[in-house]
Amino acid sequence: MSPFTYTRADDPNAAVSGIAANAKARFLGGGTNLIDLMKMGVEAPTQLIDINRLPLTQIEDLNGGVRIGGLARNAEAAEHPLIVQRYPVLSQAILAGASAQLRNMATTGGNLLQRTRCYYFYDPAFPMCNKRNPGSGCGALNGFNRIHAIFGQSEQCIATNPSDMSVALAALEAVVRVQSAKGERQIAIGDFHRLPGTTPNVDTNLQADELITAVDLPAMPFAVRSSYLKMRDRASYAFALVSVAAVLDLTPDRKINGARIALGGVAHKPWRATQAEQQLVGKTADENAFRAAAETALNGAKAYKHNAFKIELAKRSIVRALTTTAAIPV
Amino acid sequence: MSAATIGPARNRVDGRLKVTGAAKYSVEFEIPNLAHSWPVEANISKGKITAIDTKAAEAVPGVIKVLTHLNAPKPKEAKATEERNSGHGIRNEERNPLSDDKVYYGGQYIGLVVAETIEQARYAASLVKVSYAAEQPLLSMEAARPDAKKPKSNKKENVQAEKGDTSAAFKRADLVKVDQTYYTPTETHNPIEMSGTIAVWEGDKKLTLYDATQFVKGVQSVLARSHNLNPEDVRVICPFVGGAFGCKGAVWPHVLLAAMAAKAVGRPVKFHVPRKFMFTGTGHRTPTRQTVRLAATPDGKLQAMEHSSETLTSPVGQYVESCGMRSTGILYASPAIRIEEVVYPINVSTPTFMRAPGECPGTYALECGMDELAYALKMDPVQLRTVNHADNHPIKDVPFSAKHLKDAYQRGAEMFGWSKRNPQPRSMRDGDLLVGWGMATATYPAHKMNAAAKVQLRADGTATVQCATHDLGTGAYTAFTQVSSELLGVPFENVTFELGKSDFPFGPVAGGSNSTATVSTAIHDAAAMLFKALGEIAVKDSQSPLFNAKVDDIGMVAPGRIGVVTDQTKSDSYADVLKRAGRNSIEVQTELKEPEENKKLTFQSFGAHFCEVKIDPLLPRVQVTRVVSVMNCGRIVTAKPARSQIIGGVVMGVGMALTEETAYDPQTGLPTTRNLADYHVPTNADIPHIEVEFVGEPDMAFNPIGARGMGEIGITGIAAAVANAVYHATGKRVRDLPITPDKLLDLA
Repeated sequence: MSPFTYTRADDPNAAVSGIAANAKARFLGGGTNLIDLMKMGVEAPTQLIDINRLPLTQIEDLNGGVRIGGLARNAEAAEHPLIVQRYPVLSQAILAGASAQLRNMATTGGNLLQRTRCYYFYDPAFPMCNKRNPGSGCGALNGFNRIHAIFGQSEQCIATNPSDMSVALAALEAVVRVQSAKGERQIAIGDFHRLPGTTPNVDTNLQADELITAVDLPAMPFAVRSSYLKMRDRASYAFALVSVAAVLDLTPDRKINGARIALGGVAHKPWRATQAEQQLVGKTADENAFRAAAETALNGAKAYKHNAFKIELAKRSIVRALTTTAAIPV
Repeated sequence: MSAATIGPARNRVDGRLKVTGAAKYSVEFEIPNLAHSWPVEANISKGKITAIDTKAAEAVPGVIKVLTHLNAPKPKEAKATEERNSGHGIRNEERNPLSDDKVYYGGQYIGLVVAETIEQARYAASLVKVSYAAEQPLLSMEAARPDAKKPKSNKKENVQAEKGDTSAAFKRADLVKVDQTYYTPTETHNPIEMSGTIAVWEGDKKLTLYDATQFVKGVQSVLARSHNLNPEDVRVICPFVGGAFGCKGAVWPHVLLAAMAAKAVGRPVKFHVPRKFMFTGTGHRTPTRQTVRLAATPDGKLQAMEHSSETLTSPVGQYVESCGMRSTGILYASPAIRIEEVVYPINVSTPTFMRAPGECPGTYALECGMDELAYALKMDPVQLRTVNHADNHPIKDVPFSAKHLKDAYQRGAEMFGWSKRNPQPRSMRDGDLLVGWGMATATYPAHKMNAAAKVQLRADGTATVQCATHDLGTGAYTAFTQVSSELLGVPFENVTFELGKSDFPFGPVAGGSNSTATVSTAIHDAAAMLFKALGEIAVKDSQSPLFNAKVDDIGMVAPGRIGVVTDQTKSDSYADVLKRAGRNSIEVQTELKEPEENKKLTFQSFGAHFCEVKIDPLLPRVQVTRVVSVMNCGRIVTAKPARSQIIGGVVMGVGMALTEETAYDPQTGLPTTRNLADYHVPTNADIPHIEVEFVGEPDMAFNPIGARGMGEIGITGIAAAVANAVYHATGKRVRDLPITPDKLLDLA
């Protein structure tokens, strides 16, 4: 990997002033993605600022919601009673990702910043990748694009976001809290990740000098009825072909008060199916309603040579995820 | 089966070393003054290097040298010769690495950075700038068809065959026929331990290589030739191998590069092949396109079988995957058989043998074809195979030595509960899940090669046995300790078996499942020599009960004792013979000899796999839920490692059936799934409990211990058993592997 310096920040202010001083500096959390990308020659920061000692590991009640510190490990978040009880979809999503070893290291903030697993991005031997090397073209567009996006792509980039956790956060309408030398701000999860457009090299709206301090989950009492479904090529240790985070707010007579549906593995960001959600409101929670919602959710999907199956797979995954969620006793 | 057939369930003698990390693998040897290296790869698939700028790389602190075709020393000629391919070690690519400016495939080594640390070498390698004059590469079977070669043979083995008149049978209207084409993708071995070599020169005439290899003597022979050295001046050391599956069988460019680099920089150099380069630099299983045509009478008797295969090789490789010959050429009785093999060279890295080369993809196609025939005939698939059982070799008409395939079918069916199968596709369910039961035949030839062994027996009752053989993780240390213990009459815990050094007596490549059969024969011969040598001492010793006996009459009469074999009242203990002679030990070593070939018998192992899958019809990822494998491999030397070998084969076969594919970018020709996140080997969660049983008796016509090999048979047939179960579950016949969820989305 490209040479870099290593420093350790002892408090958030030192961290953000450190990063503000060097445009090529990066924060080091669990390192599970960044270090790998540095070894591959994809990322080449000149400075790593280790933030593992910052006091940002809390997982705590927030007026009926939950605040997860930016440095809370994925394993801790997934197993935390507040998450397991209030947001089963998030616990399941985190546990569906990676391996136990990686989850023990990976942080909440780092997971939000996971970069795509597009082959053409991950291996610099491929000459074309607008995300890695703007202007070089998209290798996947006419290449092997089985794992690529069906929503929100541009001619510049058809990569997908690989995170499971972020899909659940999208359904839960999480808010990302960030801090910089200029102060603090909040970013709605829907605005956190970007579509590729003409700048696929920019994954998120987090600024280079900003530190993720926490993720806030708003109180959502009906989220006890939620689940995560992940379709992949093998039983474990694989990125999603398609995944679905589903939350249902049901009346006692099984009418749908509200629904949250987010898809993973289909776009450059967690893909919220808002039209389908709205369509479900007022309907009875049954297969017909779920099928119709799935059709709506996949409206406008665009496939490439090797990934057309994702459209049908996503529809079925939505139906199954909603069916499973509706059956959860509360 | 008797105790004589299945040996004791020994724990691995090297188990403790492995779990404590004390087992030293080749690249783990600590060598003073060691330099590290990282390769530079071509990222086009065909063309010429027009410029290669190494200045930035050379300026990286710690970089010692950047080797390219411009400055690499040119080793000796590298043309294919009979000698090179005659069992003395082979190079999978005849071309020397860095020998010129030509690029034949993506991922080809075009440079090597040598530095003080591996991190420095890796970083510097990323700074090498290469310009090419790229040419249009051939990247697919379709594109390469006009350049087809029809090889007559693969080394000494025929790959084309014709018996009887198949075309006449296919014209008959009264026969039931199957004519289908099956595809397997490129698969990559991916052992846990990546390949790697440490090269250490002493002056320019002596070379030591710590190399992860299946053939220490082969590496010795190849490197001696390429550097014009005496073979005994090239030492190869490899006490442990962390899996190989064929990718460490031949000498690949990284071994030559390590030796070349070490010479160029005047220091020991390590080239530990990065995982990414295990997909381009150490071989893979070629993709195959196989057409199987079968014709049978309405009562299921095969009248004709045709098996045509198309496979790939690289422009610098010679490898031929013999799919038809090694499956349709051996499995069933048929009056007419035609086998055809076509190989296309394309601009993709060189393929090689991978666990059951030929047999594995070949049985996938044939055994799926047989399942399709069973359905066309409305016949049970086990019955169809039984009806067509080959009592003799189907082409050579030579009887089999000890074939227990019918027993394997019967026992496997019993264990699995096959009689409860409703043959109707999509008829069996577990709640909402579709349940499928499938089966297939497994087969692998019994190979034996030549080996020699050295035995040192000590007066304290211990013995050391040496052979330059290998333990690829198979349990060979344990098996040979067991064989030595029995044949020498020395307690198991008193035997030390040593392997993995070219200084030891010759051991052949650990390939073709030959090691147990071959090395055990050498141990057997060494034991006989030992008893004669002890006898020579005893018959001259007036204190010995064997005084004045004839040496030729003497052998082992009980563990630890020699005596007159026909009159066992006269015997003497090894220890007493040695002690009275004032000796601490005695040593014998066998001569290397060609194995005797018995042309009156066919030596081949057979078995049967039965498998259950469950599939959610809405979200159809195939889950294998049960496997029963019953094998006949002659005598089983040690039960535990043997069972593990079959389980390992089944696991790898489930990967082949459901998840594994090395996919390539159609533009650059580089592999896309080039790491263990994207190349999906099965995880524990993908694998169910696997029941293994062995049938039959020792095959004493084959070798003195009656053991045939078993490293490869487990993977044969299993992909077909899974695919057949998927058909039974769903009614959909998927004819291209792997059977990923997208291929089952059209289930009605």
